[in-house]
Order: sequence, then structure tokens, then C-alpha cells
Amino acid sequence: MEQVIANGLYLGAQYALIALGLTLIFALMNVLNFAHGQMYVLGGFVTYTIYGQLKLPFVLALICSGVTLAIVGALMEKFLFRTVIRRSKREESTMLLAAATAFFLDAIMLLLFGEKQRGVPKIISGVFVSDRVILPYDRIVVGVVAILMIAAFMLFMQYSKPGRAMRALAQDRVAAQLMGVKVERYSMIGFALGAMLAGVVGGLLVSITGVNSGIGGPISIKAFLMVMIGGAGVVGGAIAGGFILGMMESVGLATLREYGDITYLVIFALLMIFLSIRPHGLMGKPWG
Amino acid sequence: MRKSRTATLRIVSAILFLLALLVAVPLLISATGRSDLYYTLTSVALLSIISAGVWITFYIGRINIGQGAYALMGGYVSAILVMNYGVSFWLTLPLAGLFCAAASVLIGLPILRLRGVYFAMVTLVLTEVARLLALALPITNGASGIVSIPLPTGISLFGLTLVPGFATVANPRLAFYIVAVLLMALCFLGLYRLAHSRIGQLCQSLQQNEELASSIGVNIAYLRVIAYALSSFLGGVGGAMFASISQSIYPSSFTVADSVNFMLNCFLGGLGYVLGPMLGTFVLYFGWDLLFQTGEFQLLIFSTLLIVLMLVLPNGLLSLALPRKRSL
Amino acid sequence: MPDILEIVGLTKRFGGLVAVNDVSFTVREREILSVIGPNGAGKSTLFKLISSFLRPTGGEVRFKGERISGLAPHTAARKGVVRTFQETTIFKDMTVRDNVVTAHHLRSRANLAGFYFGSAAARSDLEAFGVSADEILAFLGLGAMGAETASNLPHGHLRALGIAIALATNPSVILLDEPFAGMNHDETRRALEIVRKLRERGITVLLVEHDMPAVMNISDRIVVLNFGQKIAEGTPAEIQQNPKVIEAYLGAEDESIGL
Ligand SMILES: Nc1ncnc2c1ncn2[C@@H]1O[C@H](COP(=O)(O)OP(=O)(O)OP(=O)(O)O)[C@@H](O)[C@H]1O
Ligand SMILES: [Mg+2]
Repeated sequence: MEQVIANGLYLGAQYALIALGLTLIFALMNVLNFAHGQMYVLGGFVTYTIYGQLKLPFVLALICSGVTLAIVGALMEKFLFRTVIRRSKREESTMLLAAATAFFLDAIMLLLFGEKQRGVPKIISGVFVSDRVILPYDRIVVGVVAILMIAAFMLFMQYSKPGRAMRALAQDRVAAQLMGVKVERYSMIGFALGAMLAGVVGGLLVSITGVNSGIGGPISIKAFLMVMIGGAGVVGGAIAGGFILGMMESVGLATLREYGDITYLVIFALLMIFLSIRPHGLMGKPWG
Repeated sequence: MRKSRTATLRIVSAILFLLALLVAVPLLISATGRSDLYYTLTSVALLSIISAGVWITFYIGRINIGQGAYALMGGYVSAILVMNYGVSFWLTLPLAGLFCAAASVLIGLPILRLRGVYFAMVTLVLTEVARLLALALPITNGASGIVSIPLPTGISLFGLTLVPGFATVANPRLAFYIVAVLLMALCFLGLYRLAHSRIGQLCQSLQQNEELASSIGVNIAYLRVIAYALSSFLGGVGGAMFASISQSIYPSSFTVADSVNFMLNCFLGGLGYVLGPMLGTFVLYFGWDLLFQTGEFQLLIFSTLLIVLMLVLPNGLLSLALPRKRSL
Repeated sequence: MPDILEIVGLTKRFGGLVAVNDVSFTVREREILSVIGPNGAGKSTLFKLISSFLRPTGGEVRFKGERISGLAPHTAARKGVVRTFQETTIFKDMTVRDNVVTAHHLRSRANLAGFYFGSAAARSDLEAFGVSADEILAFLGLGAMGAETASNLPHGHLRALGIAIALATNPSVILLDEPFAGMNHDETRRALEIVRKLRERGITVLLVEHDMPAVMNISDRIVVLNFGQKIAEGTPAEIQQNPKVIEAYLGAEDESIGL
């Protein structure tokens, strides 16, 4: 039991971090970022290169992952999404753009890093053992770092100037503009921040699960799941969604193992039922 | 009178187009010996049918990224009926469509209440559900899928052979091509009629403002479900055809990437135009095929082109040729 | 005149907030009844309850003796109770005429299949819709704008189009939510004329409006809401002298109620 909870928390923390990035981009620009999983993978590859190949410190690698992705995110917003949002008659067009961007990032990573599964040396070896819980130390470290980052993100959004500006923007774009918030600038910052979060999680997890260029899509799907559970565009919802999914996965893997690979089927079925009762998730705004 | 003249013009050009596909293309192919093109063109025709389904959901204002689920379902229904129950393929074709339509009513009732990205996300997840189900259910035979599905048998009525068995014809590829083109013609004829009848107007009223539509007495829940069932029907028929052509179906036959592609086809052609999904599928599929020569750079060039297209023509290819729409 | 609508103990809660609190009144056939009250008093919520856009927490609405609350919006519309929207709500990408033609849905005799295959009933329906739409557009002074894309209309005409859409359903009761909002003096005068003509067509009109001179000018009776509760009901003259009403308005803001 305790083991299941510990696993759930560990999974939940990293999931929440992924969902936060996705929901931030959605809240600010109303863009469903299909490329989110690919951003995660790219972050993983950066850390793989710096920590795994160049043998530089893991922390440095993580920072590089974050910075790279922030730059990628900022560029995407400035040169792609901003233009399409301005020109298109339909807001759905951004979805096509996001999908095309996902393909593009996939292609780049396939060319640069190939199809193989890549791993790096463990950051810390050893396993924490007590009578109830067995957890490798590196997982504990990753989980704790993820939780710290969530806390840092929330403090940033709550108290920093850009954080407040972005919250105003998410609430009401027009009103924020009237209040003097520089909409374009903070859209870009928000996109960069969302991408950065994805990149850092990718970097963190490379040390445990490794990375390969094909997992971007499935990661995006999981991120969508969490956002649906919690409600799109709400920070609290993303965190709740992340932990709930992590917990369900952990419980599912523990109890449903004998029936084969049906954990996700069960989760999907529950989600459908849940959404027909609460169409906007736990905390979502209607039609956000 | 001008109206009936343009109507005649439309009918004539549609017939010419169909004749070109059914007569001129096979002649050209046999002259050049590129019979591999049959497969490509058949795929385009079928994919455009499946994409047409997605287009219908766009028409009622929903972004549907779940069409792969119904294509997969249709493929399995047809394959299972043919393999396990010995039903004629031609009968399984509408049955697969109807099965998908029925399933989509059950699924649609709860999820069609969602709008915008919420609906888009749920449908995306639906594709994944279909794949997992295909892996888990006993009847679908897990990851190894259903293989060696026999080619369609003939249809004869009172001893008269209407359709020869595909195993007996000299060129099954040509046979499949002709069937696919006919189905596509039927599908787009139906779609055209839909968009230009009062039902199209009601669908658009849903797309533009559901609350207002319900205030004027439109039963929006009913209309949504009908449209979604129609959409899934097309997905199922297309999937069944694919299973029969490749004589196999696997859980990975239609994946999330396919669902996204169906949506891209519609976008690319232009959501405001009935022929949008057909043109979009053609361009996307041939574009992808042509880029095959670039080897490992295929996906890179393809996605770059897509992004550029989006930046230049955010409202679809047909927005180039056709000015903004007519009134009824 | 007989009562056409009975509102009985109607209540709507949103979480802790009681937006409409035990409101009862009746509406007579072919009268113009206004609902007024400060911002957030629950007027729009009341209208949404009457037109079945919201399900009441308690109480019910009867139309000709039959319960119509808690159904679906399209069912209420089918029975003849149709609302317009506070915000300008139209089918923005259709032409003005198509907006009204589309809104004739309830008058169709053909079914969906009939429309699809172009049955005789469908063809005669379409013809009748066209004729009626032109008549409604002319009635509301929109005759010249039929071919315009709806979103291009100026504000005053948009409001009129909203009413035209509701009229196309051939309602017995029409609920107008702030139809004069954002109109200048001239536009308001024309709109008042339209509301009067609605009554001449045999339609019962319920009106939510902040423009007090207009309300006083046109209403047969007025119901006043404050914090979800009905605090007064009566003729314009009675309402203008009602101390509770004056207090509610003065308490809310320094807004003249047109005395
Ligand atoms: N869907 C909802 N969920 C929660 N609260 C709501 C909802 N709709 C309305 N309210 C609340 O109910 C109260 C009454 O709202 P309503 O829109 O009916 O007021 P109103 O009288 O029409 O005001 P106005 O004159 O500004 O249009 C308000 O406090 C509003 O915030
Ligand atoms: Mg109101």
C-alpha cells in the first residue's frame, strides 16, 4: 500500500510538472500544444548529450535543457503561433500548426539522435529500503526536485511581476491589455516558460527511464489526460490532474497487472464517465 | 435561370471528373506501367472518405481527432465478420459503418456536450482507447492482429455475376481502385447535398452558436449525435475497405498520428469547402509520397512545408481558388 | 385577459448564491411586462429559467397551465416561449436573410430526411420560409440588408436581427433581454415601436431593460427584482412611487429611474 502511494507521488510530481506547462500555454494563448511531448523529449536529449555524452554535471545538463526549450518555445510563439493567430479566421488553425510543429520536432530529433532508446548513468545509486517502502534514491531525488519546481513555479506565478501579468492575461486578454500588460511579450514568456517546464522534466527523467524519439506523442496524450481531469487552463487543475493520474497509474499497475495491459483502458473509461458528469474537469472554466 | 446553368455546369464537371478517374487514369497507368499508382490513388480515395467524416464534425463546430478509432473499429468489424462468420465482404462494408455509427451514438451522447479543446482532447484519447481495446480484447487477437483476410467474393443475383470475386479478376488492384473511387464519389455527392440542403444550414447554426440554435427550437443534442454518427459511419466504411485491401488489420493500423492526419487533411483543403477533405488528402498523401526520395529528410521537409503552408494560407488551400461562400 | 404564464415560487441557486429567490408572478396574454432591477439582481437568470435554458432549483413555470421549466431550451421554444440574448447573439457568418430563414426551424413540416432529399413538403417549406423571412425583415426595417453578412451590421440593426430570429419561430411569448442596450435615442424610439408592434401581432412580451424612460413608456406592468427577490409589482405609475423600489435603486447606485 505505502509502496503504491510512494510510486504514485513520484509519478504524480513529474506528471504535474508536464501538465503545468501545457496548461500555462493553453491559458495564455488558447493553444492546445500538440508538441508538448516532443518538447519533453528534446529536453531529455539535451540532458543526455551534456550529462551522458559530455560527462558534465547533471545540474548543468538540466539547466541547459530548460534554457534550450525556453528558447525553442519563445521562437515558436514569436514566429509561428503569433502569425497564425493573427491571420486565421478560425482559432482551430493553431491546432494544425501545433501538430505540424510536433512533426517537425520529431523529424529533427530523429535526424540528430536516431531511433534508439538512450539512457544515462544513474545520478545516485542505492535504494532506500524500509519495511514498507522500497524506492531507489534517484527516484526520490527526481520526485523531490519536481515538487520543489512546482512550488517554485507557483510562487513565481503568485508573486513575481511576470507571473502576475500572465495571470491577468489568462483571466481576460482584452482587459489585461487595457491595464497595460504587454500582451505579446508575456505570451512569449509564457510559451517559453511552458516549454521550459517540459524540457526540464524530460531532462530529469532521462536519468531514470531514458529517452527515445518516439515517446513524444504518448507523453502529449498523458498531458492532455491530466489537463482534462483537472480542467484546462487552471494551474491548480494541472497539479491535481498530474497527481491523480500518477496515483491511478500506480494503483492500476499494482492491482490490474494480472489482467494484462489494461490500466490505461480502465483510466480512460473512468475519465469518460467523469467527464460526462463534470465536462470541464475538477476546476476548469466552462468552454475555456 | 443562371442558377440552373451553374447547377448543370457542376453536374457536368462532376461527371467528367469521375470519368477521368475511372477511364483516363487506368488507361494512363497501363500505358506507363506504373500500376503501383493504383494503390496510392485507392488510398487517397479511402482516406478522403474517412477525412470527410471529420469534416462533418467540423461542420457542427467540433474538432474531431478521434476518427482513427472508428476506422480501426470498422476494419476489425469487417475482418471479424468475414473471418469468423463467413459474411460476404460487401455486406460487412455497410455493417462496419453501422456498427461504428451505433458505437458513436453511445460515445457521442456524453462527449458531444464538450466543446473546443475539451472535445478535441477527448477524441484524441478515444483513438488511443481503440488501440488499447484492440490489444486487450480476445476477439481482435491482440498485437498479432487479424491477417490473411480473403479478398472480397463476388456478388451474383439470379445467376448473373454483378461483381466478380476479387480473387478471380486479373488485376485486383484495379478492382479495388474502381470500388474506392465509386465510394468516394458517393460519399462526396452525399456530403455536397448535405452542405447545400437545409440540414447544412442547421449544422452551421450549431457551428456558429449552439445556444442561439437551441433558442430557435433546434434539438442540438439530437443533431450533434446524428452528425457524429454520420461521421463515424464514413470512418468505419473507410477502415473496412483498408482492412480488405491490405488483407490484414492490426491495433496499430490506425493510430493517433492517423487521426491527426485526417484532421490535417480537412484543415489543409479548407474547412469551409465540401471538397476540402478530398483535395487536402490528395495533396498531403502525394506530397508525402513524393518526398519519399528525400529519404531520412522526408518528415523534416514535409513538416516544414506544412508549417509554411499554415503561415501563408491559414484558411486552407481552397481559399486560394474560391472566394468566400455563397448564400443558399 | 387570461394568464398565459405563471411563475410559481421560482428559485435558482448557484452554489451559495441565490440568484433568483422564490419569485412568483403571472403574465397576461398580450401584455408587455418589464422586469427591472439593479445589476446582478437576477433578471437574466429569471429569463433563462423561464425559457428552460436553466433548470430551477425550486418552483416552476407554467405556460397555459402546462409546466415548461426544467425542459430543454428547444422544447420550450417549440411550445412558444422564445428568448433573445443579452449579448448580441446571431449566426455571424451567415447572411442576414439566412439567419432568419434558418430560424424558421419550428415551422418546418418536412423532417430532416425530407430536407435532405428535397421532398415536396421540404420545397414548399423552404419557399414559405423565404417569404416569411422577407416579411419579418421588412417588419423590423432590415429589408435592405438581407444579403449582408450578419457580423457586418451596425449595433442597432444587430439587436433587431436578434429579435427577427426570435420572431421567425412564431412565438406566443417573447423574452427580450435588454433589447435597447447600447442604442442611441433614435434607435431606442424605433425599437420601442417594434415592441409595440410585436404586441399587435398577438405576442406577449417580457422585457428586461435598464433604460427606465423606455420601460416606463412601454410597459403595462413592471416586476422589480433586487438580490433575487421580487420587491414590487405593478403599473409604471405604482412602481415609480414605491418606496422600496426607490430605495433599491438609490441603495445600489445613484442611478435615476426616470422619475
Ligand atoms: N452560471 C452562473 N453561475 C454562477 N453564478 C451566476 C451564473 N449566472 C449568473 N450568476 C450570478 O447570479 C446573479 C444574477 O445574475 P443575472 O445575470 O441574472 O443578473 P442580471 O439581473 O441579469 O444583471 P445585469 O443587469 O447585469 O444583466 C449574479 O450575481 C451573477 O453573478
Ligand atoms: Mg442580465
